[in-house]
Amino acid sequence: MTETQTEPSAAGAPGPGTEAPTEAPVAPASTPKPDAPPGTPPALVGNPLRDPRDRRLPRVPEPCSFVLFGVGGDLSRKKLLPAFYDLMHRGLLPPDFVLIGFSRPDWPGGGDFEALLRNSCKASARTEWDDEVFARLARAITFVPGNFDNDADFDTLKRTLDEQNSSHGIKGNTAFYLSIPPALFPTVLQQMERTGLADEKAAGGWRRVVVEKPFGHDLPSALALNKLVDDVFGAGDVFRIDHYLGKETVQNLMALRFANQLFEPVWNANFVDHIQITMAEDVGIGGRAAFYDATGAARDVLQNHLLQLLALTAMEEPVEFTAEAIQIEKLKVLRAITIPSDLENYAVRGQYDQGWQAGERATAYLDEDGIKQGSTTETYAAVKLGIDTRRWAGVPFYIRTGKRLPKRVSEIAVLFKKAPHLPFSHTDTEELGRNQLVIRVQPDEGVTLKFGSKVPGSMMEVRDVSMDFLYGEAFTESSPEAYERLMLDVMLGDSTLFPRNAEVEASWRVIDPLEQFWATHPPQKYRSGEWGPTISDDMLARDGRAWRRP
Amino acid sequence: MTTLWDTTGTAVVKALAAERRTGGGVTSGLALTLVVVVDEKDIGDVEAAIRTASAKHPMRVLVVIRRQIDTPIPRLDAEIEIGGRYGPGESVVLRMYGRLALHAESVTLPLLAPDAPVVAWFYTQTPELIAHDPLGVFADRRITNVIRDEDPIASMHQRATDYAPGDTDLTWTVITPWRAALASAFDTVYTRCTAVTVKGNPTDPSALLLAGWLSARLGIYVPVEHAPGKYISSVEAFFEDGHTITLRNDNYRLTLSRPNQMDSIAPFPNRTTGDVLAEELRRLDADQPYAQALGAVTGQHDLDERSPVRTHIWYDPAMATSEA
Repeated sequence: MTETQTEPSAAGAPGPGTEAPTEAPVAPASTPKPDAPPGTPPALVGNPLRDPRDRRLPRVPEPCSFVLFGVGGDLSRKKLLPAFYDLMHRGLLPPDFVLIGFSRPDWPGGGDFEALLRNSCKASARTEWDDEVFARLARAITFVPGNFDNDADFDTLKRTLDEQNSSHGIKGNTAFYLSIPPALFPTVLQQMERTGLADEKAAGGWRRVVVEKPFGHDLPSALALNKLVDDVFGAGDVFRIDHYLGKETVQNLMALRFANQLFEPVWNANFVDHIQITMAEDVGIGGRAAFYDATGAARDVLQNHLLQLLALTAMEEPVEFTAEAIQIEKLKVLRAITIPSDLENYAVRGQYDQGWQAGERATAYLDEDGIKQGSTTETYAAVKLGIDTRRWAGVPFYIRTGKRLPKRVSEIAVLFKKAPHLPFSHTDTEELGRNQLVIRVQPDEGVTLKFGSKVPGSMMEVRDVSMDFLYGEAFTESSPEAYERLMLDVMLGDSTLFPRNAEVEASWRVIDPLEQFWATHPPQKYRSGEWGPTISDDMLARDGRAWRRP
Repeated sequence: MTTLWDTTGTAVVKALAAERRTGGGVTSGLALTLVVVVDEKDIGDVEAAIRTASAKHPMRVLVVIRRQIDTPIPRLDAEIEIGGRYGPGESVVLRMYGRLALHAESVTLPLLAPDAPVVAWFYTQTPELIAHDPLGVFADRRITNVIRDEDPIASMHQRATDYAPGDTDLTWTVITPWRAALASAFDTVYTRCTAVTVKGNPTDPSALLLAGWLSARLGIYVPVEHAPGKYISSVEAFFEDGHTITLRNDNYRLTLSRPNQMDSIAPFPNRTTGDVLAEELRRLDADQPYAQALGAVTGQHDLDERSPVRTHIWYDPAMATSEA
């Protein structure tokens, strides 16, 4: 390859021995950054080093700080802190990043804050352990001990945040994560208002707030809660976390439907017989007795996760892939949901009784610590919903959730109508069921397509087979944890995966009449380790259908 | 593992199918076929790199080793393995002797995974023109590594001359952490950048590509100034309003310094060839920013407007030697 050295070294090649020319060696690849008048927000100027075609560079948020209220709590230790560790490990946090933890220093196990951070990252982070990464995360975190109702503690928090922001050159961008019981919201929000923490004008950057479910316990309480948070922060800056929406498969549902030609033509009442959405848990209520007994399965899971999955499954195509366009379509579906008139038969509640699960004895719900005898809270809920649109007229959506079911699984199953005419004899197709498209949300994220196929041999015999797509098998990167993705989106200001106020309210409009009906109908018992109460199976059998075993 | 001596391509295809059936795997899970062109002496390094990369990319690996082109009788030896030295994927090592080496595609074509992209990786040496090697012609993506060539700078210029969309070089992949750090450092500056200097080894292709990328993006000349070290030691950027940014690499830590502000220190991962290869396999389409950076370094324009399709040019090293 010697001849390449005589290759004319074109003007400006900064190779060895080349005189440094004064002019640009090449025409700029894109229009250089225009001169911005002082005070122009960064979004309007653009970074000349960022190129949408350059997909090697990660999407990194601008410098910002994150304040975690209730940092010693369960969620923070198991999910949030590890998510920040993973983000840092993947190089997705900005170089100037500050994390401030605020809570009472009374987490289980005791020890100082760094020990808490280390233990929770070591135990729950997805990426492997790296001392350098942890040291950097530990440098970025400040812990402020305090009580939510103590003015002095909040003043300390405010001072710490301002100091950290200015020493790291952060221009007032701060997100607040309220990992606290909803009962404490008024106190904390009031404190934030008093200290001016939520004031974007004074801060000179964005201020966002992240809230967890439950978003109220019925429509009036949800309205009150929304108003409370929105008044302090402004509706556009409130991010409601539904961690199901951060899962890769849920986002893939949109890719599957709207990026392919194959599925959308059959995604309607002409071809779909019915849809089943399941979210099953194999565990009991754990240590959440007080919360769970006041809430129940319908409010805990059905109102948010299941209705969001239903909305994504049933919505029309958004005009563009933006937060606003998707929310508009989801809202349309949520508002078109109808509940059955025959609630007696089509809205089912259950409560787990004692039994055996995975080879171990399981206690009954009523025998769990902290549950009072005679509680009528449900641990299982199943309901048949309809959607009053041209696309879905007459297609039932059966949705169910429960605790202490045989396994932990979440999936959306689209079951198609049987072929209108079969040229085969009845005996040939005895083992042929409905064609199914199943989107597995967790575990084994992926998609399964079930269809009939001939059994090899001299006879014509058709049997169901399934074709599997597994995320881990076909894609190059392991899927990020839902919280990683959602925390990053909060910092980037992308609200595509967060339900809006109106969606929460529309969901409560579906749940409230069910809850009113159930208030006078006690739940039916089911043995732990079984697929829910028998009346749930009867509900589908009445329509000539059956639950799919996930 | 199945080992076949003095065999044929058809026998290899059958052996792979048999191995897959016993292993319980299916073809539908394959994301790509990686064809590695390597000399026997480098096989250990390639094995280690692919083990890392195939943990992240489900792929079929075809390792082509050409030996003794002047041997009078052509011969093919093959090792077929699933989930072994080459990681969890499927691997076939093909040793080709004699004139068969010039027709390697006759063995690899039936072994490519159905309708999955093909990536060719020239490990030991890059052909002067990729079109000389049919394995490069059939690939959708070609990965080279000029740093392993005798004269990396000359080789980089040759890569620009020979460039077609879909080519990339590992000397470009290794600077992704630098580029990511620079891009996020630029996120907080709101005025025009007036000057940038890359300090490091002015004969290192990576340092030149980094300078080329900056110059292409910013529209200014970016020199590489000599500084101790084999690679890139720091980057300085000056802005219209007097602001400056310095990024320094000291011992696997990247320090970002700005006036009146705390230094930000980030770990700078020491990536292995396997990690870099894994990043490379994430993209199976053309890399326009690489084309721009390479164009800026070598002064060749509009690289990404060239045709991505190459036509095989018959090239016989035996004849080239006898002519010379």
